[in-house]
Amino acid sequence: MQEEKDFIQELLHPKTQNVAFQKLIQEYQRPLYCHIRNIVLNHDDADDVLQNTFIKVFQYLNGFKGESKLFSWMYRIATNEAITFINQKAKRNGTTSEAMQTRIVENLQADVYFDGNEIQMKLQQAILLLPEKQKLVFKMKYFEELKYEEISEIVGTSVGALKASYHHAVKKIEDFMKTN
Amino acid sequence: MEKFKLDNEPKIKTGFTIPDNYFADFSKKVLLQLPKEEPKVISIWAKNKKWLYAAAAVLVVSMSIPFIYISQNDSDEVSNAAIENYLSYHSTLTDDDIVELLDTEDLKELNISADLEDKEVEDILTEDLNLEHYITN
Repeated sequence: MQEEKDFIQELLHPKTQNVAFQKLIQEYQRPLYCHIRNIVLNHDDADDVLQNTFIKVFQYLNGFKGESKLFSWMYRIATNEAITFINQKAKRNGTTSEAMQTRIVENLQADVYFDGNEIQMKLQQAILLLPEKQKLVFKMKYFEELKYEEISEIVGTSVGALKASYHHAVKKIEDFMKTN
Repeated sequence: MEKFKLDNEPKIKTGFTIPDNYFADFSKKVLLQLPKEEPKVISIWAKNKKWLYAAAAVLVVSMSIPFIYISQNDSDEVSNAAIENYLSYHSTLTDDDIVELLDTEDLKELNISADLEDKEVEDILTEDLNLEHYITN
C-alpha cells in the first residue's frame, strides 16, 4: 500500500510524472484493453476508449484520494468510458444500447480481429441476453478472471450479490447453449 | 449439448485478436495526447491574478472616493482656509468691520511680534510709501 502511495506521488510530481505515467500504461494497458474490448467488442473502438481512459486517468490523478486502489479506480474509469461509448454510438445510430450491442455481435464474423469459432460466437450471443449488470460481472469473472473481491471494489457491489449475479448469468448462458 | 456446463467445458476464449505490436506503440500514442499546456494555463492565471487584484483594489478605492468626500463634509467644523476664502471673495465685510470685532484679548495676541528693532521699523516705513499716508494723517 505504501508502495502504491509512493507511486502516486511520482505520478503527481512534475519531474517524475512522465516516467511514472509510462510505467502505469505499461502495467495496465493489457488488462484494461481486454476489459474495454469485452464491452465494446470491436478493436478500433477499444483502442479509442483505452486512449481516452488513460487521458482521463492522467487528468483526474490530482483528485485521486487513495480511498480505493489505483487498480480498481482505473478499472472504474475504463468501465464508465466503455459504457458511455456504447451509449453514444447507439444514440448516433438512433437506436438503443441493447440493439447496438446485438448489431456489433452480428458483425463480429466480418471483423478481421475476431477469429472465434462457432461456440465462441454462440457465447457472445448468449451474453447479449443478460441484463447489463450480469453481462459485466460475467465478463469480468469468466473472461478476465478477476477475483470477486476485485470486481466488488470496481463495481461497488457486495461479493455476495456478485456471486448471485454470476450464478444467474451462468445459468442463463448454459440454457441458451443447450437449446441453440 | 444436453449437459452443457460452462465449468465442465474447456475454457471458452473471447475469440478477439489484437493487431501485432499494438501495445508497443500504445504508450507513445497516449503520451502525445496528454494535456501538456494545462500547467501553463494555470501559471498564466496566477500571473494575471496579481493584476486582477490590483485592478480590483483600484476600483474599490476609486469607488469609495465619493463616500470619503461626503463623510468628510459631514463634519460641522469648517476649515480655516475655507473661512478665509469665503471672507476674501464673498464677504462684504471691510477691514474696519473686522477690527471692530476684535476685543482687547485679540489685540494682545496680535501684539506678540512687536519686538522689533527701531532701525528695522524705520527701514520698513521708508520703503513702504503707502504707510507715509497713514503716518502723516
